[in-house]
Amino acid sequence: MPDPSFVFAQSLSGLTAAMFLFLIASGLSLIFGVLRVLNFAHGTFYMLGAYTAYQVVQWLQPGPGRFWISVIGAALAVAALGGLVERFLFRHLYGKEELYQLLFTYALVLILGDVAKIIWGTQQKSVSRPPGLTGSFSLFGTTVPHYNLLIILLGPAIAVTFWLVLQRTRAGRVIRAAALDRETLGALGVNVDALYTWVFVVASFLGGLGGALISPMRAIVPGMDTEVIVEAFVVVVIGGLGSFWGTFLGALIYGQVLSFGILLFPRFSIFSVFALMAAVLVIRPWGLLGRPLR
Amino acid sequence: MIVRFATLLIALALAAPAPALAQKAIKVGMPMPLSGPAALFGDPAAKGAQMFVEELNAKGGVLGRKVELLVRDSKADANEAVRVSRELILKENVDFLVGTLTSAEGPAVSVVAKESKIVFIAPIPKTDQLTAADKLHPYVFRVAANTTMEGRSAAEIVAKWPVTRIATIAFDYAYGQDVTKAFVEHIKKIKPSVEIVDQQWPKLGEQDYNPFINAQMAKKPEAIVSSIWGGFFVTYSKQAKALGAFDAVKYNFIGLGEAGSPETTKSMGADYPVGIWGNAYDAFYWDQGSPAHRDYTARLSKFLKEEYPSSWAIQGYIGMQFLAEAIKKAGSTDSDKVAKALLGLTVDTPMGPLTIREKDHQANRGQLYGKTAMDPKYPFPIMKPATYVDPTRFMD
Amino acid sequence: MIRRLPWGWLALVAALVVPALGSRFYTFVANDVVIWALFATSLNLLVGYTGLVSFGHAAYFGIGAYTTGLLMKQAGTPFLAAFVAAGVVAGLFALVFGFFCVRLTRIYFAMLTLAFAQIVWAVCFKWNEVTGGEQGMPDIPYPDFGWLERLGGAVPLIGGYRTSEYFYFLCVLLVGLCLWVLRRVVGSPFGRMLTTIRENPERAEFIGVNVRRYELAVFVLAGAFAGLAGGLFGIFNRGVFPDFAYWTKSSEVLIMTLLGGMGAFAGPAIGALVLIWLNQQIVSYTEYWPLILGIILVVLLFVFPGGLAGAAGAVRRRLARRLAGA
Repeated sequence: MPDPSFVFAQSLSGLTAAMFLFLIASGLSLIFGVLRVLNFAHGTFYMLGAYTAYQVVQWLQPGPGRFWISVIGAALAVAALGGLVERFLFRHLYGKEELYQLLFTYALVLILGDVAKIIWGTQQKSVSRPPGLTGSFSLFGTTVPHYNLLIILLGPAIAVTFWLVLQRTRAGRVIRAAALDRETLGALGVNVDALYTWVFVVASFLGGLGGALISPMRAIVPGMDTEVIVEAFVVVVIGGLGSFWGTFLGALIYGQVLSFGILLFPRFSIFSVFALMAAVLVIRPWGLLGRPLR
Repeated sequence: MIVRFATLLIALALAAPAPALAQKAIKVGMPMPLSGPAALFGDPAAKGAQMFVEELNAKGGVLGRKVELLVRDSKADANEAVRVSRELILKENVDFLVGTLTSAEGPAVSVVAKESKIVFIAPIPKTDQLTAADKLHPYVFRVAANTTMEGRSAAEIVAKWPVTRIATIAFDYAYGQDVTKAFVEHIKKIKPSVEIVDQQWPKLGEQDYNPFINAQMAKKPEAIVSSIWGGFFVTYSKQAKALGAFDAVKYNFIGLGEAGSPETTKSMGADYPVGIWGNAYDAFYWDQGSPAHRDYTARLSKFLKEEYPSSWAIQGYIGMQFLAEAIKKAGSTDSDKVAKALLGLTVDTPMGPLTIREKDHQANRGQLYGKTAMDPKYPFPIMKPATYVDPTRFMD
Repeated sequence: MIRRLPWGWLALVAALVVPALGSRFYTFVANDVVIWALFATSLNLLVGYTGLVSFGHAAYFGIGAYTTGLLMKQAGTPFLAAFVAAGVVAGLFALVFGFFCVRLTRIYFAMLTLAFAQIVWAVCFKWNEVTGGEQGMPDIPYPDFGWLERLGGAVPLIGGYRTSEYFYFLCVLLVGLCLWVLRRVVGSPFGRMLTTIRENPERAEFIGVNVRRYELAVFVLAGAFAGLAGGLFGIFNRGVFPDFAYWTKSSEVLIMTLLGGMGAFAGPAIGALVLIWLNQQIVSYTEYWPLILGIILVVLLFVFPGGLAGAAGAVRRRLARRLAGA
């Protein structure tokens, strides 16, 4: 019978990983839900968020709030980039085949990945935790780092905030309507073009935010984009493409399966995540909380 | 369309690189990771080789010919290392190969070297498999330590600690597997009371070590033997420190894979878990070094423009040193002659004389081991003291 | 007149002539091109002819490579048997995976192909005892060419080549054969039905075609030939590694197919030639090949969605019109 404090510790590390993935995957899910495009470049926005956070930290003097300024700054910068990409490039592909749109997002992965290498080089970079969150405390016999706890709380907080925006505000209603039926929405006089740009901006913000927040915990290194995008795909597939809470659920499941997989079947923890993705697609393709695509 | 084909062929022919000038430099190919977490070690290793080549060429080269070093990014990936090595051989017509870093790259490139009959000196890969009896061939040589030497050296150190419950964490590939095996076998021999309570095997390239650290801590080890290396150690130890792993084992932790190297301690700054044991191939602050070592360190510092020069440059340097000496001894750049010249060759390296033994083409390259501590002279922790562990008695 | 030339035969002759140019490197690049041409053409059966976008085609490439590698290295199987086995085993996996994939459409189909490919990758990556894990399997033996060398003593022109060159000739012949087979398949009623399915699956169902069965059949065919390409590549590369099955390999071959043109049979092969040649040229000037590739891809998508073959076709049509009109 495994030690309960250990089970708690593993589930916490699974939760932390899940919250990062949720931030990234929610943007991916949003773009898919409204624009019906699977954005391969979302992992790249995540990576750029991390690099930009690192850069802003370098520019600023050490001082209170330096870390948080760089996180928000990075997320905003990536959001702006996303908006520009959509407005000037992606928009022209809307009439064309889905394959072309997908390949365009992959071209972005190639281009932006190398741009990051040109600007920041190929060596690994890292960012320290913000002062004040470098410690840890003991809970149920395990050590819980403060920063991890923050992430675990921040994830659901952001989720609830966005959900409220989607449900209660006009903008949110418009987005949900666009996901269901964009032609009618256009006929009703909504500026669908601008809507698409804003969706891209918000989604990129989320991706960049995820990257910036993860920078103190992991290495900032080329290749982090291609690794994370597949993980994000798994999450949105399990939860349901286009479903907000589905993405949250998918992230939770992913985090726990990976975490306990390492304990229970260490050789095949990676395998089990993809097997789960395949199983969901075979049994219930639109995911746990998703709806069938029209 | 036939015109297009012909044009393409002609363009291919025209675009081919111009043949070497009459001076005929000796070309040495160097596949080395220059990007990603492995670049923390790979980049200085390439620079160390470059320094040696520059100094050699300034003295007139070897056999009256200059040496040209072609460095290519192998991305710490075996497939990529094979690809760039074959390109170096087929396109650039290199005469020799000195390079590779990971224990996946080394054996893969060794195969290419064997088939192309090109002398290949591995300055960093440690896995025993590179020079094991079934993989050994006339053209592969190693001037790095190997996993047997490293594992056993570590076992002797850990055996002196007041601990019996030991856990290991290593990457799930040749290096991690072999060094852990060597460690476990030897420590069980010299201290039978030891119990290996847990073993974790993250994949090479892992970014999230939290689940592994948690799983390891649950078994309540008294000591941890890790072989997580390079930039990966930076990530691992940051996460482990946050989870209190070092405190839990009271810093009875040894970081094989050169966790004690100045690069690592420098890059981590205050995040470094001071008090752990580590090893390194070199240390600019090593006070037991010969005058030759002090001279080398001064030259390296100037070449790299670093006040505290890297510890990895030495492996690139030594690799090229052996090659140059062998070419001189053989009096030719013919692969077979140079390969024969390398057997039993002794070279005066900045770390002392090293010899490549005939039995398995392995040099008796020991490493510096030590417990890290802060020192008022430097803004980062150092191994205090850094002791050179002679590996000869560990080599069977 | 341009259309009447036997392009296939000309390409074959051009390929066979490459080693005579004297550079081992040209043979190396040509060998790469030939194998990828088969891989890309097999993918185009799915993407171009049937309209099924697969993100996981590299899985079958990897399966083929590991099959041949394992058989030749561990079991000492002769090359031809190992080569055929690569296609058979890959085809079997394609049958199992494809059965589930063709029940889905569009994005779900693509995601499931990706999921299966990552499963294959994960197994190859972690099953250390069998696949060598992260190390991969270096040291795949070449096929035994001893008989050819001995024959070369007697027959002129056959003797005196290096092993790598013999292997290149073998690749050219085998890939040529495979492409010929695929050409026949694509031109057959089966092949034409695939195009009908791509244009309008509902209409195809309506006229009584079991769309799913056709899709599964082409999925297996595409997987089998990708496996054959993989079997050759493992030997050519002198080693089989897990990233043969990783999703970025799938995207490389997809780009090749797009670059050459999905609408023409020779499109993917042309895409393979141009992309690999371009890669070689660019890499000698700069390390930022992905940046260049990304820009090329963007240009293609916006300006030449039909790829090179599509652009060539448009030029040819314009020329023909002008010749006819003048």
